[in-house]
Amino acid sequence: MSNIISTITELLSSGFGNLAAYLAAHVLLCLLPAFYIAGAMTALIPKEIVTRYLGRNTPKFISYPAAAAAGFLLAVCSCTVIPLFAGIHKKGAGLGPAITFLFVAPAVNILALTYTGTVIGLDLALARLILSIAFGIGVGIIMALIFSKEDAEHDKKTDAMFKGQARMRPAAIGFLLLLVALLIVGTFQIAPLKQVYLQFDLPIQGADRLQEFLYALVPFDASRGEEGVTVQGAVLIAMLGLIGLASWKGLENIHDGFNAWTWIATGLVGLTLIFASLGLSPQAGYVQVLLTGKFFGVLFSTLALVWMLRFKLTQDEIRDFLWETWKFVKQIFPLLIAGVFAVGIIRGLIRPEWVQALAGSNTILGNFIGVVFGVFMYFPTLVEVPIAQMFLDLGMHRGPLLAYLISDPELSLQSILITASIIGKLKAWVYVGWVALFSTLAGLLYGAWVDGTSIWLVAGYLAAFMAFLFVIFALIEGKKKTASRAG
Amino acid sequence: MIEIKVLGSGCANCKKLEQIARKVVATMNVDAQVEKVTDFNQIAEMGVMSTPGLVINDEVVSSGRIPSEEEITEWVTSANES
Repeated sequence: MSNIISTITELLSSGFGNLAAYLAAHVLLCLLPAFYIAGAMTALIPKEIVTRYLGRNTPKFISYPAAAAAGFLLAVCSCTVIPLFAGIHKKGAGLGPAITFLFVAPAVNILALTYTGTVIGLDLALARLILSIAFGIGVGIIMALIFSKEDAEHDKKTDAMFKGQARMRPAAIGFLLLLVALLIVGTFQIAPLKQVYLQFDLPIQGADRLQEFLYALVPFDASRGEEGVTVQGAVLIAMLGLIGLASWKGLENIHDGFNAWTWIATGLVGLTLIFASLGLSPQAGYVQVLLTGKFFGVLFSTLALVWMLRFKLTQDEIRDFLWETWKFVKQIFPLLIAGVFAVGIIRGLIRPEWVQALAGSNTILGNFIGVVFGVFMYFPTLVEVPIAQMFLDLGMHRGPLLAYLISDPELSLQSILITASIIGKLKAWVYVGWVALFSTLAGLLYGAWVDGTSIWLVAGYLAAFMAFLFVIFALIEGKKKTASRAG
Repeated sequence: MIEIKVLGSGCANCKKLEQIARKVVATMNVDAQVEKVTDFNQIAEMGVMSTPGLVINDEVVSSGRIPSEEEITEWVTSANES
């Protein structure tokens, strides 16, 4: 009995430890700006910028890349993905580009990419981006070829809804670029940003004892890649809580007008970011403060953002921007916290040997297992990332890991059902089959690159595979045409 | 009678818009009916590609954003007059 209790306590503390370490270490400088970028993209980018290339009469070599771009730029929220998918399919460029859009959208959204990049590594985030776009276009073209007959019959009415000519205001573009700059200086680990330019000591007593207390409170095992909670991290967690509270008061009813809490919440976010970029190390009797390139970068971009918010954006833009950001936070953050906590617990239960035996090397089976796990397990947005990190720590190869990361947000029972209601059951399941195949392939290719195969050879494999598919489909098409002519 | 349709699934913005639309109708005290459209094929038929969309008497007045109460009041007033 006491054994069971001690096991449960151990698992719970492992869960809390994981959560605290995540909030303190990873979340702030990457996720906060990423949420703001997602909000700004939704609020400030008019969809006509991309959708005008998705009309029925646009040449294919423009509409497919445009669909991929739309997936990246417009589809941060499911509010946009499904209606835009239905619109492109029914009234616009047709099934192919619609499928490309549907494939690219969940895989490369800015939140997921940033998070993957910070937690697991930039190479994996880039592989996720590049392979998703390449395979998204591939799957779109294949689907259009398989169902070319039905596709020709669909709605022949006007494509007036793809004629919009909106432009982005220069101020909005500048604001978005500043946010991206903030994200980059906050997360990239490059020399000029890590360089210490100034340092001084603050006479604060007891910080070192607090640090020891925190390390004792949240035990961690550095050899397993775990991180403890620092004093700075603890302060940041408290500030995050305050931001949440102020946002609830100031942003929840933003459509009734701005109030003091709106500005308190926004100001707190700025302060938190700047504080998070400081290098603090508690010593006996004082706290050493290090000002790095990162600190100055974050400071300047935050100040510039505040200035733009105050003087350059319109009331409507600010309201939409803050609301969209808050909406994402509200939608995603609680689930992410629950997910990270659960991952911390589960990690104590899975034996590394199991993972290593199933997907420890870059094999077809290993990649396929990654995909199957991704399809049957449905995790809320972003939770797939801490789960992926857990598998990585437990010995999963990076190839199958990518296969899992591409297929998980792509395919879930829910998204398959919605897709089926728009394009029909047969097409939806054919699509699922292709996504499974392509995710496996993406994992294999990336895994081969990780194992040392040259990038050109990998690109060659990719090109050869695509060429093979096209030849097959061209042959089928040719046969169909001959048959229809004969008949 | 004025027919107001809110287009969109269960996403946060769509619920918000429905809530605001109902509030406007209640405060204006006009003969209006607020209806929710969730079927994406129907939404695409109306030419709306980003939800939430707002349709007043079969005319799409906004899509992809949450209009303010004043805007909605204005649209409903002009629909009421015509």
